Amino acid sequence: MNLRSSQDKLRVGLLLLPGILMFAIFTIYPIIKLFLMSFTQWDFGSMMDHSFIGFENYKAVLSDETFRIAFENTIIYTIVTVPGQMVLGLLAATFIHSIPKFQVPFRVIYYIPVITSWVIVSLVFRYVFNTEGMLNYVLTNVLHLSESFIPWLDTRWGGSGVAMMLGIWKGVGWNMVVFLAALQSVPQDLYEAAEIDGCGSFQKFFKITLPCIKPTILFALVMLTIGGFNVFTSIKMITGGKPMHQTETVLTWMYYKAFNTGEFGYAAALSFIVAIVLVFLAVLQFRAMKNKDAN
Amino acid sequence: MKKENIKKALMLVLSVFLILGIATGCTNSSETDSDQETEPVVINFWHHYSAQSAENETLMNVLIPKFEEENPGYKVNAVSHEWAELHDKIIVSASSDSLPDVARLDIAWVPEFQKMDILVPLDSEMADFNEVAGGLLDSAMSTGYVKGNYYALGLNTNTKILFYNVQAFEDAGITAPTTMDEMFEAIAKLSGTNENGQQVWGLNEPALAGWNICPYIWSYGGSITNDNYTKATGYLNSAKTVEIIQKLADMYADGQLTGFNSGDIPMTDGFGTGRYMMLLEGPWKSAEMDGAYPDFKYATADMPAGEAGSHSVLGGEDIAMFKNGNSEGAWLFMKFMTSEFAEEEMAKCGQIPVNKEALESDTVKNADFAPFLNAITTTYARPPVASWSEIDNALSVAVTDIIVNGADAQATLDALAETVDGLLAE
Repeated sequence: MNLRSSQDKLRVGLLLLPGILMFAIFTIYPIIKLFLMSFTQWDFGSMMDHSFIGFENYKAVLSDETFRIAFENTIIYTIVTVPGQMVLGLLAATFIHSIPKFQVPFRVIYYIPVITSWVIVSLVFRYVFNTEGMLNYVLTNVLHLSESFIPWLDTRWGGSGVAMMLGIWKGVGWNMVVFLAALQSVPQDLYEAAEIDGCGSFQKFFKITLPCIKPTILFALVMLTIGGFNVFTSIKMITGGKPMHQTETVLTWMYYKAFNTGEFGYAAALSFIVAIVLVFLAVLQFRAMKNKDAN
Repeated sequence: MKKENIKKALMLVLSVFLILGIATGCTNSSETDSDQETEPVVINFWHHYSAQSAENETLMNVLIPKFEEENPGYKVNAVSHEWAELHDKIIVSASSDSLPDVARLDIAWVPEFQKMDILVPLDSEMADFNEVAGGLLDSAMSTGYVKGNYYALGLNTNTKILFYNVQAFEDAGITAPTTMDEMFEAIAKLSGTNENGQQVWGLNEPALAGWNICPYIWSYGGSITNDNYTKATGYLNSAKTVEIIQKLADMYADGQLTGFNSGDIPMTDGFGTGRYMMLLEGPWKSAEMDGAYPDFKYATADMPAGEAGSHSVLGGEDIAMFKNGNSEGAWLFMKFMTSEFAEEEMAKCGQIPVNKEALESDTVKNADFAPFLNAITTTYARPPVASWSEIDNALSVAVTDIIVNGADAQATLDALAETVDGLLAE
């Protein structure tokens, strides 16, 4: 937009002002406040008097054994669910893109999990994987594959695994829609030229489709990584961090520390550590994709 | 071009309105106060009676109208919260100075909020405190006593007693256990598989926190801390405490006890479908069972006595006022809510009163919760210390490690006692 006069600038400024105000009040201010909070002793005993304690909260977080477990769980959740969602989403998108008919019904079916409530599907998953749940009934009483019920949710990897499955199941639809849009923008003549050169389906997919949708892959990768680090509802509803906080993730642990034991300073420091890790990961992902491009 | 101008003008008007909207939304509403001088003074009351419950209906339709009639010039604005949400909301509101005047609090929260310095010490601020407190049960009043002052009035009380499956007991030819040894025998006898080949557990506990395991520890002769709540070593890792926790671990290993794992059958369903034979629960369980399993036959008995007697855990709620609130109105409302009239009305909905006169009423003597009245006289309260949430968490983790993972009971409780000593000293 070419701003010709100061009147134009004023007009643009006025139009932007509500958005900027909202952003400042509801995003910038809380972030600054949280940052300051992370350097103070802000807990039950000092609610009204916040003394500056330097990096003590950060030290406490980094030396906390449960935080280590929660961080590990979050990283593993992200490593498993992000590629899982992307691969299945891309497969679904490729499948839907290739069929001449019934594209809309398939798109709707794949997208339904995305719009369902996290709380409800978490409870459904919990009932399916309960020790006395549907899965164990089918495995033991119908298929006779197991002699006794398997306590899926009662161990660290069992409980986390179910949350990961839910994360993938719920995210495939979003990936499918994003990749479908990207697939539709790949120039058709590239495929035609490749066919003339004798390329097979796999070659076309890996040499044409994937390079063409690379920006979308990067976008999905960054968004899903952030989403992976934000996993909260499913863990809270399925295991509640049990057993012995072994299935906590960084957000459930942060919530526990803030609202169960009242250590707001600790929780603020924890959220900043997570934010720093996320920024670092995003930069790394962009760099990696760029380097690949350059090569 | 004209169209574009109209569009621009419209956008400008819209943005001006938005800014005005934000600005007015952020301003204080004090400008309108002068118009409302004749309006009644509002007492803000937060509570956790469920919005759809009979208690809430009584509060809104009987108690508040009666209070407002007796105290013209006051209006009560009662806000219902979920139990856990209320705790969190108070913490958040404390830091933004937006607390209500008065609130109904779980007895376990009082020391925590006292430490936050947001509660009013009633005995030093209210002239007629002794008169009001004298009309309420001592055990209930003790829950509001922290570091030399009373910060709350007892509002209602509860405890847990034994619920058991009548049919299963009859089939096994046993009666309700009165001692812990009889209880362990019954648990062993009733555990196993039912006629459908499904596993059945003699005892259920939905968690392994203090609320769940304290009755076993206390009745068996163990303890959590000393009487002054200053030391856990020598108490939490005493021979008796270790023995009873080990007993629970053995029961879990033998398939006699369950319910605290994420994948276990929920308590009410397990009991109503005959999978859990016994459990310790509060007076609310009767309403839950009547609602979910109206045909299921169960009976209640006191917590079976161990060497130290029968000591269940004291639960219940207090009513307290916050600093910077309308203390005059809040105190009037607190006195009203703990009066004989209000307590008897609430007793009709299953709330066990703490008002001594209300306890003598026929409503209370004939209530469904009558079996709990005897048990309440021998209950113990969980340590009323500000760090209880942290202690409870550490306790739950350690006991889970012993019961579920088979960790060494003595070594684990030794380490736990040391941790708790540190938390008590804070």
